[in-house]
Formats: sequence, C-alpha cells, structure tokens
Amino acid sequence: MEKILKEAYRRSLEMETRRNFLKGSFMGLGGLALGSLFSCGSAGKAAGPAFDPRNPLAARPPHFAPRARSVIYLHMAGAPSQLELFDYKPDLALLDGKDCPQSFLEGKRFAFIRGVPKMLGSQAKFSRHGQSGAWISNYLPHLSGVADELSFLKAVSTDQFNHAPAQLMMQTGSARLGRPSLGSWVTYGLGSENSDLPAFVVLTSGGQNPDAGKSIWGSGFLPSVYQGVQCRSEGDPVLFIKDPDGINRDLRKASIDAINEINRQEYKEYGDPETLSRISQYEMAYRMQITAPEVFDIHNEPEHIHRMYGTQPGKTSFANNALLARKLVENGVRFVQLYDWGWDMHGTQASESVDTGLMEKCRSIDQATTALILDLKQRGLLDETLIVWGGEFGRTPMAENREGKPNAFKGRDHHAEAFTMWMAGGGIIPGVTYGETDAIGYSAVSGKLNPHDVHATVLHQLGFDHEQFTYEFQGRPFRLTDVAGKVVKEITG
Amino acid sequence: MKTNPLKVIISALCSFGIFLTGCQKPGEKVDYITQVKPILNKHCISCHGGVKMQSNYSLLYREEALSKGKSGKYGIIPGNASGSEFIRRLTLHDPEERMPYQKDPLSEEEIGLLTQWIDQGAEWGTHWAYEQVKKPAVPDADDKWATTDIDRFIRSNARKHGLQPAGRAPDEDLLRRAALDITGIPAPDNLLAAYARTKDFTGYVDQLLALPAYGEKWASMWLDLARYADTKGYERDGRRNIWRYRDWLIRAFNADMPYDRFLTEQLAGDLLPDPTEDQLIATAFHRNTMTNDEGGTNNEEFRTEAVIDRVNTTWETLMSTTFACVQCHSHPYDQFRHEEYFKFMAFFNNSRDEDTYADYPVFRHYDSTQRQKLDALGGWLKEKVSPQQQKELVMFLKTLQPSYNSIVFDGFVNAELADTKWLALRNRSSARLQQVSLSGRNAVILRLSHGVEGTLELRLDDPAGPVVGRLEAKGPSQGWRLAEIPLKKTEGTHDIYAVYRSPALKDPNATGMMFDWLYFTAGLPSGGDVRSRNFTADFWNLLNAGVEQTPVMMENPVDFKRRTRVFERGSWLSPGKEVSPGVPALLGSLKPGQPQNRLGLAQWMTSRENPLVARTMVNRVWEQIFGFGLVETLEDFGSQGAAPVNRELLDYLSYQFMHAYGWSVKKLVRAILVSETYRQDSGVTPEKLQKDPYNRLLVRGPRVRLSAEQIRDQALAVSGALNPKMYGPPVMPYQPEGIWNSPYNSDKWKMSADGQQYRRAVYTFMKRTSPYPSMVTFDGTGRDICLSRRIRTNTPLQALVTLNDSVFVDLSVHLARRALEAGEDPPPGTPQPGAPERYIDIAYKMATGKRISPEKQKALVGLYQKAYNTYRKDPALCRALTAGTDARLAAMVLVANTILNLDEVITKT
Repeated sequence: MEKILKEAYRRSLEMETRRNFLKGSFMGLGGLALGSLFSCGSAGKAAGPAFDPRNPLAARPPHFAPRARSVIYLHMAGAPSQLELFDYKPDLALLDGKDCPQSFLEGKRFAFIRGVPKMLGSQAKFSRHGQSGAWISNYLPHLSGVADELSFLKAVSTDQFNHAPAQLMMQTGSARLGRPSLGSWVTYGLGSENSDLPAFVVLTSGGQNPDAGKSIWGSGFLPSVYQGVQCRSEGDPVLFIKDPDGINRDLRKASIDAINEINRQEYKEYGDPETLSRISQYEMAYRMQITAPEVFDIHNEPEHIHRMYGTQPGKTSFANNALLARKLVENGVRFVQLYDWGWDMHGTQASESVDTGLMEKCRSIDQATTALILDLKQRGLLDETLIVWGGEFGRTPMAENREGKPNAFKGRDHHAEAFTMWMAGGGIIPGVTYGETDAIGYSAVSGKLNPHDVHATVLHQLGFDHEQFTYEFQGRPFRLTDVAGKVVKEITG
Repeated sequence: MKTNPLKVIISALCSFGIFLTGCQKPGEKVDYITQVKPILNKHCISCHGGVKMQSNYSLLYREEALSKGKSGKYGIIPGNASGSEFIRRLTLHDPEERMPYQKDPLSEEEIGLLTQWIDQGAEWGTHWAYEQVKKPAVPDADDKWATTDIDRFIRSNARKHGLQPAGRAPDEDLLRRAALDITGIPAPDNLLAAYARTKDFTGYVDQLLALPAYGEKWASMWLDLARYADTKGYERDGRRNIWRYRDWLIRAFNADMPYDRFLTEQLAGDLLPDPTEDQLIATAFHRNTMTNDEGGTNNEEFRTEAVIDRVNTTWETLMSTTFACVQCHSHPYDQFRHEEYFKFMAFFNNSRDEDTYADYPVFRHYDSTQRQKLDALGGWLKEKVSPQQQKELVMFLKTLQPSYNSIVFDGFVNAELADTKWLALRNRSSARLQQVSLSGRNAVILRLSHGVEGTLELRLDDPAGPVVGRLEAKGPSQGWRLAEIPLKKTEGTHDIYAVYRSPALKDPNATGMMFDWLYFTAGLPSGGDVRSRNFTADFWNLLNAGVEQTPVMMENPVDFKRRTRVFERGSWLSPGKEVSPGVPALLGSLKPGQPQNRLGLAQWMTSRENPLVARTMVNRVWEQIFGFGLVETLEDFGSQGAAPVNRELLDYLSYQFMHAYGWSVKKLVRAILVSETYRQDSGVTPEKLQKDPYNRLLVRGPRVRLSAEQIRDQALAVSGALNPKMYGPPVMPYQPEGIWNSPYNSDKWKMSADGQQYRRAVYTFMKRTSPYPSMVTFDGTGRDICLSRRIRTNTPLQALVTLNDSVFVDLSVHLARRALEAGEDPPPGTPQPGAPERYIDIAYKMATGKRISPEKQKALVGLYQKAYNTYRKDPALCRALTAGTDARLAAMVLVANTILNLDEVITKT
C-alpha cells in the first residue's frame, strides 16, 4: 500500500519537474500543449491537457519574486459613489441644482439619465486624513483612521455602464461571458498553499448575490477546478462539507478508508494514474471536512476581535466575511473575494439615496474594512496580503432623472468614465493618490486607468508579468489583460 | 556555448519517435501546412498577420507574403531564398533588424526549413480542416485483430509507434461501458440477460441504441453546445420557458434524425416551407442566447450581443472554428477576413428578436381544443381572404408576429421607456415609430396597459399630423390587455406618432399608458353574419388565451429588415460599411439558388462539400466515447488547434457519416462501438502509460470519469430510485438552501415531489447565475455561452458531493434497501441471508455490473461490521440515517454510500 502512495508521490514530482523545466526553459507559464514538442517544429500539438489534471492545485512559483502571497478583493457590488466617499469636488457643490451643460451629455450614453439632468453636489463632508492627507469623507470615519495604509486610484474607468457586464469586465477583463475571473487566473497560476481549503473562496453579503451571478468567479475556459468556491458564513461554510446526519466522523473515516483501499485494488488491476489521484482527493476531502469548519467558524475568535470588526457570529454580514477573509488568508487561501451587494444608489427610494442610503451602507462596511487592515497588520500579514477595494463603475455628478423626470430621492446614475478604487498591503506603496478627475469628477484628467491596468497591477504584486501569463485556448494564448493593461508603477514602486 | 533547450528536446524526441511527422531530409518536399505554417504562426504572424501588419507586411496570404514591405524589398521570392528579404531578416545580427523583433532568433532547423521551402517555390497550402473530406484508403492492417475499418486505421497508426492493441475487455466492463456511452445509465436487466444467452455484442449495442434513454444521454451533450438554460441570464436572470427545445432534441436523437436535417431545423426551421410546430421549436437552439432584463440596458446592444453569440456558437460548436476573434480584426492565423465576420453575421442579423423582456418572438402552444378552433378559423379565412393574408393571420395567432416591439419607438416627448422595457406615455406625450408600411393595413392590434382613462391617437409623420387611428382608454386596464385600433386607409410608408393625453393625470410625471407591441394588419374580413361574428370571437379568444410560449427564431419580413454593417474594431457603436450575407471565401460560397438567409446557410453547412460540419460531429462523438477527440481541441480545427492524432480515421468516419451512414448519428455511434478498438481492455501497462499517457493512440480501451449527468443518473438507476418519466418542464431535485439569490428576483428553488426529484439530470432546472451545485463541481458550467468540451478535473469538492450531498445519501438508502430486499432469497451455494457478504455482493454488482473480488469484499465487510456495531449501540445515530433503528440497514447504507464513491463506479472502465 505504501508502495502505491510512494509511486503516486514520485509521479507528481516527475510531473512537476517536467512542467517546471518546460516552463522555465522557453515557454513561460501558461497552457502548455505537451504535444507541440513531439514533432520537428511542425504542427503536431496533440498530446495531453495543458495543466496537470491529477494535481491541479499544487503550489507553483510565479514569474518573479512576488510581493504578495494572497489577495482579498472587496467588491462593492452596485458601484459606490466616488463623489460621496473619496473624490472631493468642491466645485460640484457650486453647480448643485443647475442644469447639466450640454457638453457633458453630447455623445454620451447613460443607463437611466434622459434629457437634461441637474448637477448634484456631494452629500458628504470631506476632510484630509493622515500624513498622506488623503481625502476621505465623513461617511467612512473608521477608514479615515488608516488613510496612510491606503493607496488610491482616483481615475479608474471602464467601458460598461450596466451592472452585470461591468462586474464581468472588472472581474474577468471582458464584458463578454466565458473569460476566467481574476481569482481563477491567480489560482491557476499559483495553485494553493493549503489543500485542506478551497484555493479561491467567494463570500457574499448584502442580501443578494452580485448582479453578474457566478460567472464573475467562474473559471471561463480554464479548467473548472480554478473557479471560485462560494462559501457561507452561516450553515455549512462549503457545500457538502458536513457529514450527513447519521454518519459520524469515525464512520466517515472508516468509509473513506474503505473507498481508498478498494481504489488501490482498482489501481492494481487497471494501472490508471487517475485512480491514484482520486485516492489523494478523498484524503484531501476528509482533511477539508475537518479543517474548513474550524477555519470558517468565527465563534472562537476572542472578544476584542469581534469588537474590532463589529462581527456578530451566526449572521451573514460583510463584517463576518471580512473577519473570515483574514482567517482564510492566514490559513493559506490564495484568493478571497468578497461581494457586498446594495451600493446602487439611484435615488428611487430613501435606502437607495446618496445621502441617507449610502451613509447607512457605508456604516455596514467601514469598521470591518478598517479592522481587516489593522488586524492583518498586527499579525504581520498585511505585507503579503493585497487588499483591493472598488465597485464596477462610478456614479454621475448629475442627479439621476429616470425616464426624464427627477427621482424621488438624491441619487446618481451609473458612470463609467471615472471612479475611485484603493489598494492596501501586498507591497503597494501606502499613502499614494494616483490619478485625478476634472473639477466635477466627471472624467479623468490624469492617471486614467482601466480594469486591465488594475489586473496587471494585482498580477504584478503576485509575481506575474501579465503579458507572459497565458493560457492556450482556441488556438491562441489568452491573457487576463487581453491586449491591454499596464502596471501602475506609481503604487507598486 | 549556449545550448538551445528546444533543440535538445526536439532531437531527443526525434529519436524517440512518438507522434512524429518525420524530420526533414534534404531534397524532400517541404509541406507548407505541417512544417512552414506552424513556424510562421509561432514566430511571425502576431506582428505580420491578420491582426497587425507591421511594416505593412503580412505572412497570412501568399500574395501578401510575396509583396514588398515598407523597406521596398520583396519579402519572399519563390525559388530564391537567398534573394528573399524574409530569410535575410531572420539571419541578421543587428537586433534592430533581425526578426523576430526583440525575440530569440529562429533555430537553424527552422530557418533551414523555410529556406528550403522558398527555394522549392514557396507554395501555399490549405489547412487540412478547410479541405473537403475525401475518403482515405483503408490501410492494410495485416493482422487478425482488426475486424472493422476503424481498427485498421488504429492498428496501422499504433504500429508506427511500436504499440500493440490490448486484449478484449471482460464482458462486464464492456457491457457497462457501452450502456453508459449509449444511454448514460447502466443497461436494463433484460438486455444483460439477452447478452448472457447470445453473447451477441452487436445485437446488444443495437438494443441499447433503440432505448429512449439514448436520446436523453446525447441531448445532455448537446445542451452544452446550445447553452441551454431555464433562465435568461445576466442580472435578473428570470425564468425562460424553453424546455420544449430540450424535448425536441431528445426526440430528434431517438428518431435518429439525419444530422443534416437536425442542423437545418435548428438553424433555420422557421424558413422551411410551412414549418411545423416541431421545426419552429427546433430553432430555439439559437434562442438560448441570454436576454438582459437589467434596468437601464440598451436593448440594441444586447440584441447585438445575442447575434454575435449565435455567430460564434455556430462556428465553434458546429464547425470547430474559432471565429470570435474575427469580430475585431482579421483572423490572426487562418484566412478569415474581418469583413467576413459581418457577412456571416448578416445571416443572423435579421431575426425578429430584440432583447425584449418577454423574449419575443415566441411560439404559442394551444391545447387541442384551441388548435381545432385555429384550424377552423384558418379554413374560414381561406374562403374569405387572400392566401397571403390568411397565412399572415394564422402566423400571428401562433407567434404574435411580425409586430413592432415598443422598445423601438424614439423621438420621445414627455415619454420614455419604462425600465428600458416598454414605451411609457404621460399626459401630453408623444413618441415615434419609424417607417411603417401602411398599404393594405386596416388596423393595429396592440398589447397595452393603462392606469387611467385617456386618449391615444396615431398620427401620420408628425406629432400634429393627421390622425389615422384613435383609442379611448376607459379607466384602468388591470394589467396588459389587447386592443384593436381601426386605421384610416393610408398608402405607402410613414412614421407613426403615438400621441397620448389624459386630463385625469394630475402628476405630470405619472405614466398613463404603456405599450408592449403593435401589429399592423389587414384585419379580419368584415361581415355581420353569425359565422363571421363567431370566427371573429374565436380569433380574439385565441389571441387572449393565456397559453404557454416558447421563444423561437423568426426572420424579419421585408418591412423590418435590418442592415448589417462591419463593426470597426468589433464595436457595435462604430458601424462601418454595409455588407450582405455570405460565407468566408476560404470555404467557398453559397450555391446559386440557395437563399441568402439562414436556410441557405444551413444548406451550405450541411452540403457534403462543407469540410467542417461532418468532421466536427464525428470528432465530438468520438470524444464522448473515448474521452478525447481525434482532434483534441473540439473548439478549434484551425492551424492553431491541436493536430489530429489520426486524420485519416477522422476523414474516413466523416466521409462515411455523410455518405454511407446518410448522416445517421446512431450508425456512427454503432460503427465505433462494434469496433475492436472500442472493445479493448482499459488496463494500462507501464510501457503504454509512458509512450501514450492519454491513450490518444487507442491501444487500450477508454477509461474516463463519468460526466456530471452520468454520475447522477447512474446513482439513480442502480439504487432503483430513477423515475424514467421523460420530457416536460424542468424539475428541482434536492438542493441546499440559499443557493438562489439573484437581485430583483425573488424566485425560489422549490424541491419537486412525487418522484419528480428522481428524474435524470437532463431535466434538472438550469439557472444560469446559480447552476445546480453538483453539476458545476463535476465540470459543468452555467451555460452562459456555449461549451465545446468539458475539461475533466479531479478535486476534493467532487468527493464531498458524492459523499455528503443529500441526493447521494438518499440514493445510498435506496441502494441499501434494494440490496437487502434482493438478498432475502439467495440461490443455493451463495452466502445466506444474514451474512453481510450477501448484501454487499449484491449492492456492488448493482453498482458496477461486476462480481466483487475477495479483497474488495473484505474491505466492505470490515466497514459493514464496524458500522453495524456502532449503529446497534447508538440507535439515535441509526435513526438519523435511516429514520429507523435497523442497524443492519444503517450499516448497509454506509456501505452503499461507499460503493457509490468508488473510482470504478464514477469511472467508465
């Protein structure tokens, strides 16, 4: 029996060595069709799959020395208003209530604004914070306290202004379906450091799943093993992780032992290496059943941590997810994606207004987001954990006038041309503000970025050259950043 | 000296001799396709090809490669490599001049090959996949092993690699393998019993092919290609009623509808003469594209997305060609020009659908009484009106088409689209419908709703133009209703203005009236007699009937025709030159007389001259059976796709498929299954594993993990729980709480009862944003877009599904009970009731079709004993698992659960 397991180990080592040799020598990381070598520089590209299906999550090195080991991406689904949070525009206040000038409307497309809308001054009060003097509004009092840990990208833009396509764009680099998500790419590139937990974990809060559904953590054309695993902060954290009623740990252990014993017999008979792989997957599943519920249980955290995050165990909340995110990266999870739904402040009702609605929404994430940064820092994990915060687009400096009539409450329409994101930790230079919008926060005037640039920057911190990080599909090497993307050197150093 | 690792590997592999196409010897003719094109693709084309033409030079087409670049020198001079700038640039030392620019230089071998090729005349060639399928000569296999032509191709290829075929698989393996491949579930007992008597494997295969389960298995495969789902996708992801398409597929496979017809009906069933209901349902193939109901979305944008998806899906799934890239620029590697994408798109750009909330156009399914009424009405109309008008009215009752969707209104004054879905009118508002042909139109039938009384006028060419129709709305309509507005006789084509006022509306921003669609018609024949009155009433009753509807394809009539333009750099916001429908020049053209629409396209695709369609299906069927296609990249046969491992066999089968089998998929499946190749043992020796790790040469039988559907269906079948009911609306088996959670959509997963939860996977409700969890874990997708092949993975999350998902626990209980019952009446000489071996043997046999080996039996008996003791001592635990205190049953449930997790159970052996 031991012999078989040794053999399995030897095989996986062989496979690794061969892969690394090939990668290192001339192909770079990426979809590797082994068959292309089996010919004299001719078309033969026949053989095996482009990844090792028997150990697809083995930890792998990136292109160069990484600064970050894992990522926590906080996506505020619905698109928060940069004009109420970070992008301070005193001039906009002067224009409040005035008709929007035609020049802003000509040739533009909006989701809901029709005709001539009124300008809408910021509803928040702004002040500068920390050594860096970053502008943060009174909607985020906690976050203001860690301003010097953050680096702002003030002029991010996208080309989508509807939620589902824009979320796809932000998470997969394409508004079209079928592309792998950022988390999938990272997992594909780096594998996992803890086989007892999913490598790419998705947590949702805000009462709804994000608008684009599971596609935004999907693996697209990458093998499905790299897709995000949606976990939950109440109930079973991972689907089907719990032993069924009436099967206790002891019996489950005995049953997995029997499965693996019979599978070893099967391997003797048929010699299929896939069977060996199945044996190790069942062992991993058993360990995951023990590890995951422990890691996902926030009850055991000390009281001061709960106070710090504002967590209430047993509930589904952004705060609980933020604390979980810390626990997960601490335990070797590569990519943790949080989606918090409900940032779409159109002004059709009070809870969707940029005054009371947005302030309320901010309250639900402000303390926990700040706690996450401080907690990672006090554990020495902030250096190696990249935190990314943002939505899928921004909001208009004009008040929304849905169907050509003023909305009942103060709200802003979707806006693709300029919005704020921030990053922290993971080797990002803290306290930088990069990019600038015009006097009313409508368009970028300098440092304009797009989602590809954000992706290139995230990959860079993880040790990847985004132009070399590819996967072969449909006859060509695909990149997360397609044909675009540049690393924001101003914040990566 | 630096050694080029590529060279080392290549020379090592050359001596190895696997998968080699042969190393070049001086004087031998260099082949463009297999030897030159790959070098160009790898090193040159990305800068000098379809996407970029650096220095105005491209190597994609011969005439481009032979021309002068920016330098003014001829790139390639046929017969004169030393005079060709192309070769000179490869060999320079100046890094600014030497190509590939700022990359490693080409190897000596590569430059040698290119030089030799140019000296031999620099002839271009056509990539194999774009050449018509010719019947290759069957190799002389010269041995007893081969019994079919497939075997002769396999044998001859294997021999080149010094490999011998494996022996026959044991009967139990082979019978299970064939049943799973043909029907997706184990064979029924009577077929196994018949085989035990006759030992007639071919007969067994034929019987399996005749089972209705065959259609369910192969339809499951097709649903990935059709990106079938029961919801519309995107943010709201509301339900879509389109299951009748799935049922059409099952019936079509079972009836063995010839593949050419199968494709024609799906692509263009609506354009066939007098299409039947089934032929219209078939066109739902391309209505499985997503519809975006998110508020604030531009309907034209997402209509265009759907059309683009139809183009890409048609190419990728039916012709194994990557065409999507041509949307933005000419194909980087293959000879497809940018403009050709849009010529092809023009075939699909004239369908009636417009990303409407209701997924118009739809087919309305009347019940039998209503159908009789419709037939009678049709008969009466035949007497009264022109055949054309009769046809129009009947088609309108069946499909509500051709109608103007209210989303195409523009020129809003005080009006807007509500949630970008329906035209909404306020007091003193107007909106324009452009260019409506009014000749012969006597009335408008429209779907509208109104909250207050008000007046709608239809005015000609101006908001203050002459009134041609008027509707007085009296009070609230209570939701949508249908109405008819008589029209003043008007000739020609005009803009129609909808002008609305309602003094009852106090709030100037309040909506008074909304439209869904408008249908301009010649109307019903007038007549005051009883018969006319009755038929008129029938007409309205049918129209108002709340019937089930299925989205279908329907071509725009002349008045609605759209122009198709090239999108500059692929963006629909930058329309360029207008184009007419056509196929890429590389692949010929439509024949004279073939209509320039989807039907003509279908005729072109299903012509025996089309090089791609038959090969694609043959490759797909092969992949379903052996786990890998003869071309591994099912999605791409192009010059960048994987090379075929056995092109002669692919061509042979494709030729047979079109000619000898008359496009019969069943005959194709049968031919493969009765081959010796298929019937081999799937055990692997270290030598074979080393030389052919992925079994591409087929010198052993297939051994592949089952698909998500097969894993579920097999567990249902072996546990005896399977509900064999076929067809009908999708069902909801057990799913954990809280999986569905779409914004602005309160729809809930409600577990089906009465045995519906035990139906095959093909009937499971498919929600795009939240697909059924175990399906996704076993490599399924959300079906947002087409999926040409599922890449198999092996993960711990899969183990958790079959171990812990309540579905599998429940089926373990069923299997345990079934084994215990069957074990009560043992034949003499077998373990007697009470002995766990007895039940374990039976349960194992049920799950695998095999007799258990002593070692495996020992492992399960050990588990049983341990479980039995535990459950006997802990009745509460026992009750939790089985709702009773029978420790024997509980122990057997654990054993059954273990069996359902065995590698040999979730793998086809």
